[in-house]
Amino acid sequence: MDRETLEVDVLIVGGGPAGMSAALRLAQLQKAQGGEPLAIAVLEKAREAGAHMLSGAMLDPSALRELIPDFKEKGAPVASEVHHEHVYFLTKNSKVPFPITPPPLQNHGNYVISLNRFVKWMSGLVEAEGIDLFAGFPASEVLYDGDRVVGVRTRDQGIDKHGAKKSTFEAGVEIRAKVTILCDGVRGNLTKAVVRRLALDEGRQPQLYAIGLKELWEVPKDRIKAGTVVHTLGYPLKREEFGGGFLYAMPDGVVSVGFVTGLDYRDPMFDPHLTFQHFKQHPAIAAILQGGQMVRYGAKALPEGGWHTIPRVYADGLLIAGDAGGFVNSMRLKGIHLAMRTGMLAAETAYEAIRARDTSAARLWKYEERIDASEVRRELYPVRNVHQSFGYGLVPGLMYSGLSLVTGGWWLKDPMPAHAGFDRMAEIAEYYGEHKLDVDAPVRPVKVDRQLTFDKLTNVHHSGTRHTEDQPSHLIVYDTNICSTRCRVEYGNPCTRFCPANVYEMVDAGDGTKRLQINASNCVHCKTCDIMDPYQVIDWVPPEGGGGPQYDGM
Amino acid sequence: MILVIAEQREGKLNRASWEAMAAAQQAGGPVKVALLGSGDEPLAAELAAAEAAEVIVVDAAALGEYTADGQVAALAILIEQEQPGHVFFAHTYQTRDFAPVLATRLGRSLITDVTAIRQESGAMVFVRPVFQGKLNADVTAEGPAPHLVTIQIGAYRGDAAVRGASPAAIRKVEIAVDAAAVRQKPEAPFKEAKQAVDLSQAERIVAIGRGIKGQEHLKLAEDLAKAMGAEIAASRPICDSGWLPMDRQIGSSGQTVAPKLYVALGISGAIQHLVGMKGSKTIVAINKDPEAPIFEIADFGIAGDLFEVVPAMIAELNK
Repeated sequence: MDRETLEVDVLIVGGGPAGMSAALRLAQLQKAQGGEPLAIAVLEKAREAGAHMLSGAMLDPSALRELIPDFKEKGAPVASEVHHEHVYFLTKNSKVPFPITPPPLQNHGNYVISLNRFVKWMSGLVEAEGIDLFAGFPASEVLYDGDRVVGVRTRDQGIDKHGAKKSTFEAGVEIRAKVTILCDGVRGNLTKAVVRRLALDEGRQPQLYAIGLKELWEVPKDRIKAGTVVHTLGYPLKREEFGGGFLYAMPDGVVSVGFVTGLDYRDPMFDPHLTFQHFKQHPAIAAILQGGQMVRYGAKALPEGGWHTIPRVYADGLLIAGDAGGFVNSMRLKGIHLAMRTGMLAAETAYEAIRARDTSAARLWKYEERIDASEVRRELYPVRNVHQSFGYGLVPGLMYSGLSLVTGGWWLKDPMPAHAGFDRMAEIAEYYGEHKLDVDAPVRPVKVDRQLTFDKLTNVHHSGTRHTEDQPSHLIVYDTNICSTRCRVEYGNPCTRFCPANVYEMVDAGDGTKRLQINASNCVHCKTCDIMDPYQVIDWVPPEGGGGPQYDGM
Repeated sequence: MILVIAEQREGKLNRASWEAMAAAQQAGGPVKVALLGSGDEPLAAELAAAEAAEVIVVDAAALGEYTADGQVAALAILIEQEQPGHVFFAHTYQTRDFAPVLATRLGRSLITDVTAIRQESGAMVFVRPVFQGKLNADVTAEGPAPHLVTIQIGAYRGDAAVRGASPAAIRKVEIAVDAAAVRQKPEAPFKEAKQAVDLSQAERIVAIGRGIKGQEHLKLAEDLAKAMGAEIAASRPICDSGWLPMDRQIGSSGQTVAPKLYVALGISGAIQHLVGMKGSKTIVAINKDPEAPIFEIADFGIAGDLFEVVPAMIAELNK
């Protein structure tokens, strides 16, 4: 097939905080140093910049201050500075405040932001620099020359569900670049492929992930002061489960409430969405939300494995930045500033390499050197075993985490041993014993009142998710027989629970058995299925351009 | 004065034009109606039944077949001549195609998808849904008149448009549309579209959901539809299973309808379905689960087994 080709110097794949920061940094270097202008392109799968961005979100402004010192004058949407913070340990009906706010959770000087508005604002700055931002163009494949990354191919558009070309068919474009910076986010489809092909994770620990679900609420204006930040541990999670809740208050009665759970839970019947509902029903949280209205919903996975799980982030013609590389501080629950910082460092490395006419791995290695010399390592190295330590339970995890503040993260065995999250999930029989369990009914059901608690479908509606209906499923399950046979018995089809958007359903096959139905157009692009499926037979690939959630204010 | 632009296709008025008319009448002030096309006298007479100052007919060969360029060129001149305070359109596919261009050409505000209008200190305040219908926003137009307004389909009732005591005057207006300025060449309508049912034009709809259980029970719903003279439609799972074609799907990924009567059989009422039919005048729901959300918006609800209720309804209707 003939494909159009576009040649650029630097290709940035993914228009999140990492990609936007990389683009802006390149423009700044260009301005400061002059010379032949570089051709820079940014690819983004969402219809418009920022629409697929979701985070708590708490912003540590350190990287922003360096990248855009006059960010306030430039109108950065960072309205609410943190004023009050609370950390609670929740039991079923009450809350126990932590005597002091643990240092990693101290947020004074940070901002509560909407990440998608923040990124949209950044996209304006990027475009003002004359950089091409292609929104609505997902990249589907990495292009190689031998083992050298030479660019990406965008997804073909206009294919119907049977794989035939529709009248609107448009072949994907090959974008070739001297340096490709992958910023395709948590469990990025391209990063996943390239890490596998080039064995960039050799000698590293398996990445550990978490899934965060979040709703935006409008509550009476005098209910909670803007800039109030609440973090919780404990209920409704069991002691063996890693995670916690958050509630951030923004101006005008807008409240961001969410729940994050480690995707390394053992209970195959665990359901993050139900857990989130239980969390909202807790008196401490319900008191704030009562009488308010849920206006938005979203979900996204996040990489929490930390320092030892970061793959090699450079190769010939390639750099990896942001969540795609796993740059998140799971102790501080923050990654936006690290995404920005690694995006900036990747840009600096790419710029120098292109000017020196050498974009080989030997030269791009400087990216790793820059990271090691930067705040990124200073911040991530001491907390390198935090999520792993919670693998031993909540109490040992808390004790280790407290200890690490003194020891700088030292442990007898370093790296602390860890398993991939899906590997930890127990089989039904192992976890629940041999007694009969109805895997189609929740173990801890919740009464859906559509005021405080919602079912998944109602929530999905509030994510604004839309996909072209007539296209192949972008969730590829390589073996659906497993679903109705082995998985049903062994794990009870956990995909129907861990997916926060009701994409996976087991429906009657008509012969007394169940078959998997994939409601791909519900997908909010959180990547949890790709991460957590116990047989690793689910592959998330990007859908037709522009498809996905339409987050606003998230 | 409010100028309502009526929409026709192949000699038939779009039902939603009457809804735009009703909106204009209820907004207050004199109303004029304009019809663009060629050879549309019978339609003009039909429109003249409305309580309106006059019906303006723009008859030009270049308007025979709809093109965005032709429509915009003619309307720009017509609006210039008539100097209305507001121009109302039904929010149809056709309006969506050309209205933004027209607004840009005239340099005037365009407020789309309006569901209600009220007067506030002499100005019209328009209500339009945001956040996919979760919230309503009050909007006022800025800049000089005329302001362009599109009315959401189903927000007003076409049969609520007031009919005049005597037919309104019909005036023909000559507007020269330069055929060379029309850049689009319309092709024959899609075959698909020809076969597709336009459920938005149906007055009665029987819709089925998961509660119908099996494809073999489809006939029961079809019998009810036949007895009622209704179109058959479905919620998403039914069309996903291939029991009915996709063009019968109601909801956020299907069609939006506002019939006079909507009978929901075995539909639980997920919000994705509700947004596609909540504008129906009368909603009747039959569902086994008395807690199903469909009952929250139903005018009449029967918490019971559809396999018992529907045969009884058919028998009653056929009496």
